[in-house]
Amino acid sequence: MASVYTPPVQTLIDELGRLPGIGPKSAQRIAFHLLKVPADDANRLALAISEAKDKVRFCERCFNVSDAELCGFCSDDRRDSSVICVVEEARDIVSIERTGEFRGRYHVLLGSMSPLEGIGPEQLKIRELLSRLGPEGVEEVIVCTNPNTEGEVTAMYLARALKPLGLTVTRIASGLPVGGDLEYADELTLGRALEGRRPID
Amino acid sequence: MSELYRDVGVVLRTYKLRESDRIVVIMTEQNGKVRAVAKGVRKTRSKFGARLEPMSHVRLLLHRGRELDIVNQAESVETLAPLLSSLDRASQGMAAIEAVDQLGLEREPNPRLYRMAVGVLRTIAARPAALNVPAFYWKLLSAEGLEPQLDACVRCGETEPDVQLVSIDLNEGGVMCRACRSGGPISAAALAIMRDIFDGRLNQALALEESPATHEVGALATRALEHHIERRLKAVAMFERH
Ligand SMILES: [Zn+2]
Ligand SMILES: [Zn+2]
Repeated sequence: MASVYTPPVQTLIDELGRLPGIGPKSAQRIAFHLLKVPADDANRLALAISEAKDKVRFCERCFNVSDAELCGFCSDDRRDSSVICVVEEARDIVSIERTGEFRGRYHVLLGSMSPLEGIGPEQLKIRELLSRLGPEGVEEVIVCTNPNTEGEVTAMYLARALKPLGLTVTRIASGLPVGGDLEYADELTLGRALEGRRPID
Repeated sequence: MSELYRDVGVVLRTYKLRESDRIVVIMTEQNGKVRAVAKGVRKTRSKFGARLEPMSHVRLLLHRGRELDIVNQAESVETLAPLLSSLDRASQGMAAIEAVDQLGLEREPNPRLYRMAVGVLRTIAARPAALNVPAFYWKLLSAEGLEPQLDACVRCGETEPDVQLVSIDLNEGGVMCRACRSGGPISAAALAIMRDIFDGRLNQALALEESPATHEVGALATRALEHHIERRLKAVAMFERH
């Protein structure tokens, strides 16, 4: 299909369309919105993107996004280095920090194992996790991968790799979402919730 | 063209779509392989919960669309929990459904393939036997009309003990003696296991512990299926290395 737009507009639509969750229609809508807004507004967005790309990189230790060699959690001495919470993506750290329940350090795998897509342990930051354990005196690893098939497979693989090293390996309990109805809970979720039950004080 | 239909199926794959939706690929009993959109499935509070994860066996209400159908309702036929209870089970289950995905044709009814998928997942859930996946691959090939001849040399027709059957060549249709041999070598122990799989002694084969012979049968099965579908299988390779 030949493009009906002039090349700069088509390029903008194409680039926007490559973003996650943006289909061709949304790309078109956003592109025309950007063409309509004042030049200052559009340039601010362009600058924000290029500054973020310039200044933000991965923490050398935990692969969280960072603006320095080490991220804020890795360079903060008050964090407990004997516990590492393993997550799939840096954005998961934000969710866990919001709970205020965790005072240890993090490790970002940058994905999860997906056998059907050929994504194995080598494609994730698992070797890097193993190399942190001794030097940092890690005693417990909490596996906080997503409660879906890929996340479970990743968790089981990590448990198999870590347990022989004498570490405590725990998995976050996956249970019922607060505010959800029992009636709508699927069997797997309900089963896990029952396994993770606790006494009522 | 808007119609509702019911079916049962095994979820083979999922692909992320937009913010919180997924495309789910399902091997159904009556409608062949179906691609359908599950809306909101990635939200923690989705009504679908974990029911549309790969390997799930589900009863579905679907809305037929032009390219993609839409999942209206999904309930579990059996729980996924046993398949996610160990790494061996999960990896075997993945290797099994990857093969089903490769062989199933879209919207072309294949109730037998659906039943085989359900059967192998139940077998794996019960016990992660060393030969679950290789035996399943061989059964799939045999359902495709590619059952190897294992009792006599495919070229000269000689049988044991007159000759020793030492190689297997699926292009030729089975095993061969030393004089006729082509394809790859096969050991006597592996040949005995293959005969168990094809001659109605599957349970005997599945009772075997991991050994060089079970690895040989596994490698042969993977190679044969890859040759048939003309592409590499990803899941089985990932866990063979570990
Ligand atoms: Zn860090
Ligand atoms: Zn011969």
